[in-house]
Amino acid sequence: MSRRILVSLAGALLVVLAGRQPTLVPLTRTPGICPKPLTRSPLPETMALSETTLFALEYMNGCVGDAVAAQQAWPEWQSATIAGGDVPPTRVVSDPYPTMHSVVVDAEHDRVFMSDPNRHAIWSYPRLAASKGAEAVTPLTGIRGPSTGMMFIAGVTADPTAQEIYTVDNDIGDRMMVFPYDADGNVKPKRVLSVPHQAWGVSINHARDEVAITVEAPREIVIYKRTATGSDAPLRIIRGPSTGLGDPHGIFFDGTNNELIVANHGNNGGREPAPSQSVDEDETDTIVGGRFDPPSITVYPGDAKGDVAPIRKIQGVKTGLNWPMALDIDLQHNEIAIANNGDSSIRIFRRTDGGDVAPVRVITGARTGIKGPMGVTFDVKNDEIWVANYGDHTALVFSRTAAGNVAPKRVIRNAPGGSPTVGFGNPGAVAYDSKRDEILVPN
Amino acid sequence: MHGIFYDPAHDEIVVPVALGGAVLTLPGGATGGEPPLRVIQGSRTGLVQPDTLYVDLAHDEIIADSGDNAVLVFPRTANGDVAPIRRIGGPNTHISNIFGLTVDSSRNLIIVANRVEFGRQSNDGILIFNRTDNGDVAPRAVITGPHTGIIKIRQVVADETRGQIFVTVKNNFEYYNPNDPRPSPWNPDQTGFIGVWNIEDNGDVPPRGVIKGPASGLVWPAGVAINPQSHEVYTIDSVSNALFMFSTPEFFVKRLTSLSAGR
Repeated sequence: MSRRILVSLAGALLVVLAGRQPTLVPLTRTPGICPKPLTRSPLPETMALSETTLFALEYMNGCVGDAVAAQQAWPEWQSATIAGGDVPPTRVVSDPYPTMHSVVVDAEHDRVFMSDPNRHAIWSYPRLAASKGAEAVTPLTGIRGPSTGMMFIAGVTADPTAQEIYTVDNDIGDRMMVFPYDADGNVKPKRVLSVPHQAWGVSINHARDEVAITVEAPREIVIYKRTATGSDAPLRIIRGPSTGLGDPHGIFFDGTNNELIVANHGNNGGREPAPSQSVDEDETDTIVGGRFDPPSITVYPGDAKGDVAPIRKIQGVKTGLNWPMALDIDLQHNEIAIANNGDSSIRIFRRTDGGDVAPVRVITGARTGIKGPMGVTFDVKNDEIWVANYGDHTALVFSRTAAGNVAPKRVIRNAPGGSPTVGFGNPGAVAYDSKRDEILVPN
Repeated sequence: MHGIFYDPAHDEIVVPVALGGAVLTLPGGATGGEPPLRVIQGSRTGLVQPDTLYVDLAHDEIIADSGDNAVLVFPRTANGDVAPIRRIGGPNTHISNIFGLTVDSSRNLIIVANRVEFGRQSNDGILIFNRTDNGDVAPRAVITGPHTGIIKIRQVVADETRGQIFVTVKNNFEYYNPNDPRPSPWNPDQTGFIGVWNIEDNGDVPPRGVIKGPASGLVWPAGVAINPQSHEVYTIDSVSNALFMFSTPEFFVKRLTSLSAGR
């Protein structure tokens, strides 16, 4: 849904005066954004305004210290006289800090990894990292920059055995990228796999040596060999009207019980996805009209293929599901945790639940600090549950059995306390509300 | 969502929902989980995966991308599983992949930001139809070609008073070549722009106004909106994930026919 951006109050990254004449402006780095920039030469103290804005964006996005303003290639306009030109913005609304999207904990190596679509990065922290008050925690590593290939990444998972981190582009990119644990800075992935457009969740099944990825619009789960790379084809696809998949997001590939567990928003586009080996939307699919189904958690056999019905489905009013994002399974206690973005809660169900069932526990309320959660993961070894908030700049750690309106055990900030988030990610449109003098940005 | 329209006459927000094959109308002041006032969705609507839309307040119509290479027109107050009252689509229309839609109601025109990609080339352009066109009809004008600079077109909005069209252009194909020091879309020599054309323009013609260059900060501008009263252009950038506001009185004080100096 659209989010209102009150321009005059939102966190402005750059506020420069209108004008066309180059002006020298201070060039400073926002602390904590890029703790280990690959600066090859000292930054100049000032830069001409005409060079600054793009450089600042690249600098912030890519952590590259190459302070060379590239010459721009222009279209074939040489013979034309064109009004405007290289006009600096009068105002910019942007979030200079990373956002916290999805989270995964490797309890064996005491590492936590979080995906960040705002700055196109993966950040890692010590498992016991915590903010003292309002200050941000300095991450152990930050993988970011043009060489990483990461754009608007979504889900993240880790392979503790191979010590590898996996993430997928949800928009702009259409790739799965795998990095070693010790990757830091503007580095190339260890492996890159082309995946369908609008991938969101990613999960590894070691027993099968496979990786499963959810894809939103075609409503499918695509399963690859774990070590797939390049343009390798998937091993199989779960797709079709019987699957009950509706805008799938979080996924857990359960190697112990040989099952796939998926969180669905319930959105169904106008085409009925036919069972096929095509991983992208097929224009020959029958047009049946769009549909909004209630959100759900659906479960499939681990070796399912094609148009298969779920073996269990959690769905209905009692579930409280509302924009369910990431999910995780505690195989020791047989529980599902879901990041319920729509009502800022974490909902815990029994792994074997089906039908219209209430969660066994819900963590929500003002004391919890949960705000628009995208990521959730269990740390069974340490009896904890982690939450990544997309609605502010925090990750939260609770006792595994926490319930109700309880304070977290630890808070990890990646920005000073109170720093706002813009709320948008890869926005595609903008509108002006002339009645309220506001700018509307849809996500 | 890749589209949004604010309706000042009825204080409503209208959005396409691509993933649900729907068009939703919400109260103008909606916040949180407020339900929509109206939902157009279902097999009769022809909505498959609508990315963008516009509301023609003068003629009380919603003009929507079908997500199926067609422009659909509904009554503004349509609700439920209703058929469109007009549909522009078919090979003669050249409509391929709609990324932006707007209407110049005073001139009775529908303007389509049309994406035609093949590999790392494109024939993207601006298609202009008569507002009441229906069926497989040819556009009355097409702005496309190398002199336009249009590669990967996005949103479009019309300034009816001055008869101008504002368009966002990404100007850059996304691909990942790990051997490039700055793979697309990070390479700063191929950044996008906002282009301004006159509504009567046709063919392979350069824009009459542009916002482009390193000082602009634009990398991949996606959305565009205008505020003629304050002489401002707003855009949202899908790489830097930022909202930019530009003050460009030269685009609004008078029509861009007698051109000022560029770049």
